[in-house]
Amino acid sequence: MIVKLAWRNIWRSPIRSFVVMGSVIVGVWSLVVILSYSYGVVNGYVKNAISNQTSHIQIHHPSFGDDMDIAFTLPENSTLDSSSSMGGFSYSKRAVVSGMISTTKGARGVTIKAIEPEKEKAVTTMHTEIVEGEYLTEDKKNQLILGASLAEKLGLKVRKKAVIQFQDKEGNVIAGSFRVVGIFDSGNRLIDDAQIYIKKGDLENLIGTATTHEMAVLLSDPDELGSVQQALTAAFPDLQVESYREISPDVKLYETQIGTSSMIFITIFMLALIFGIINTMLMAILERTRELGMLMSIGMNKIRLFFMIVLETVFLACIGAPFGLFIGWLTVKYFAKNGFDLSAFADGLKQFNIESIIYPSIEPTLFFQLSLGVIITAILASIYPALRAIRLRPVEAIRKL
Amino acid sequence: MRVIKASQLKKTYNPKGIAVEALKGVDLNIDKGEFTAIVGPSGSGKTTLLNIIGGLDRPSSGQIMVNNTDITSLTENKLIDFRKENIGFVFQAYNLIPVLTAKENVEFVMLLQGTSEKERNARTESLLKAVGLEDKIDKRPGELSGGQQQRVAVARALAPKPSFILADEPTANLDSQSTANLLDMMLALNKEEGVTFVFSTHDQRVIDRARRVVTLEDGLIVSDVTR
Ligand SMILES: Nc1ncnc2c1ncn2[C@@H]1O[C@H](COP(=O)(O)OP(=O)(O)OP(=O)(O)O)[C@@H](O)[C@H]1O
Ligand SMILES: [Mg+2]
Repeated sequence: MIVKLAWRNIWRSPIRSFVVMGSVIVGVWSLVVILSYSYGVVNGYVKNAISNQTSHIQIHHPSFGDDMDIAFTLPENSTLDSSSSMGGFSYSKRAVVSGMISTTKGARGVTIKAIEPEKEKAVTTMHTEIVEGEYLTEDKKNQLILGASLAEKLGLKVRKKAVIQFQDKEGNVIAGSFRVVGIFDSGNRLIDDAQIYIKKGDLENLIGTATTHEMAVLLSDPDELGSVQQALTAAFPDLQVESYREISPDVKLYETQIGTSSMIFITIFMLALIFGIINTMLMAILERTRELGMLMSIGMNKIRLFFMIVLETVFLACIGAPFGLFIGWLTVKYFAKNGFDLSAFADGLKQFNIESIIYPSIEPTLFFQLSLGVIITAILASIYPALRAIRLRPVEAIRKL
Repeated sequence: MRVIKASQLKKTYNPKGIAVEALKGVDLNIDKGEFTAIVGPSGSGKTTLLNIIGGLDRPSSGQIMVNNTDITSLTENKLIDFRKENIGFVFQAYNLIPVLTAKENVEFVMLLQGTSEKERNARTESLLKAVGLEDKIDKRPGELSGGQQQRVAVARALAPKPSFILADEPTANLDSQSTANLLDMMLALNKEEGVTFVFSTHDQRVIDRARRVVTLEDGLIVSDVTR
């Protein structure tokens, strides 16, 4: 009965109720869109980072660390077998040294990544990002590919030569002459400006021994990250097995940040909504003073009265939510399919490694969070009006007759 | 059987520090089956007295026993329950819940009491019949005339089987025909079912039909006539 009464009460001033519902719809809808959009940005960023930087998992010598000391190599016999406990994955071995690339126009400190070109294709997307020339091939020795921005600074073009230098583990400088076969544009300044790629065999020829510093693993199913990482850690107790979150703290930061910022957005929305609802409910109670006094006179107790006002508020606030969620879902679905084209701002976005076409992603948890947010908002907003209602004294309320 | 026993009721209001003595020591006893009008000039204390008898307000001093319960000793929440079980109210206006139908309004207190659906339906039907509104069962108050609304209010007040019904100027907003009809109905209920009514009024035609007339003046009972 109280439920029925509360439900009918919200339709007493339809316009006022529609205003509240409308604001819930607009609020929920825009939050779904904004937040899905930000999830899209972050997912795009993370996907980017995984596909051309970190892969899902990397294995290093525990002392290799940030210094990238050439001495800390992986044992040459370490191989990864797709054992039964792990799902499918691909991996590549790399030698990674810091060194210098120089031409007549200048010299730059760079990270030299010496890769096995064919195996690398299964792990990173570098081979798809060649904008001039071609990817590393097996046929000729001492091939080099580098980023477009770095090439420009060094005055390098395809077929031109550059000298690459680095120190071996005794500190002797080793140098080699390499020919540019391709120029890439990965969309990531950090890579384009500061990483060059050569073949692992060429580097080993210069050093004189087989050298592997890094194994990068790309999983077919990202959800298996935890279990595969565990299995690999067990298989290589002496090595450091890190996930992309550990390798690239900014990725982890983004991932947690998006959670935090969606909570902040939701909170702001809730606060705005709370005041709107409180105001509406206070008006509704003021208008119904006599009726509420009458209800108390004939025996409706305070608990029921309180409950009725809370229910009214919850109904009022919650009717709009599913509509907002639905329109939001439609909007996001549309953009998830067609992409949200930001190419007009592509240059600026590139600095932040953000893709120029955003595909908002629908997070089911977001829908859950928003629904919960609206319900909590409604309950919070109902408390004050409900207290006001039960504090009415029936005689005074009725005197207003 | 005595349903109301008020002794030395005093009530002083203190708006903005100025004391107003609305009741100055009222003794009043009402027995089951009475049909009593409380009359008197405006400001004489009729509403104040009815509110105190009904447990809506508390006296400044004095005692009020309703069904042998000292209602001044009850807490606010107990008082609400006491009203629900023992007293039926009919106000001058705004008696009904506008979003509920006549039937739902009459049912309302029975629902609060947890009466079974079968009993509720039977009682609602017979009450609406008793007040002559069996054909308006599913109408909302807004679709009923003032007189019809007051009849529904009487039916609603009777629903929980209270020991008496308090009505503060129940006919004040009605035309003379509706007033006469409502009074006919109240008298019939009184005669046939023994329902006890205590009501205030200004209307001479209503006063003429009351069996007992208690006159208040300036917060005191100046005459108490039973015909
Ligand atoms: N809440 C209040 N605060 C202050 N004074 C009040 C209050 N209620 C009533 N009074 C005063 O108490 C006195 C009695 O009022 P009451 O309403 O009981 O009279 P009444 O006989 O019902 O009058 P009426 O016929 O106009 O309804 C009046 O002087 C009134 O002004
Ligand atoms: Mg009065």
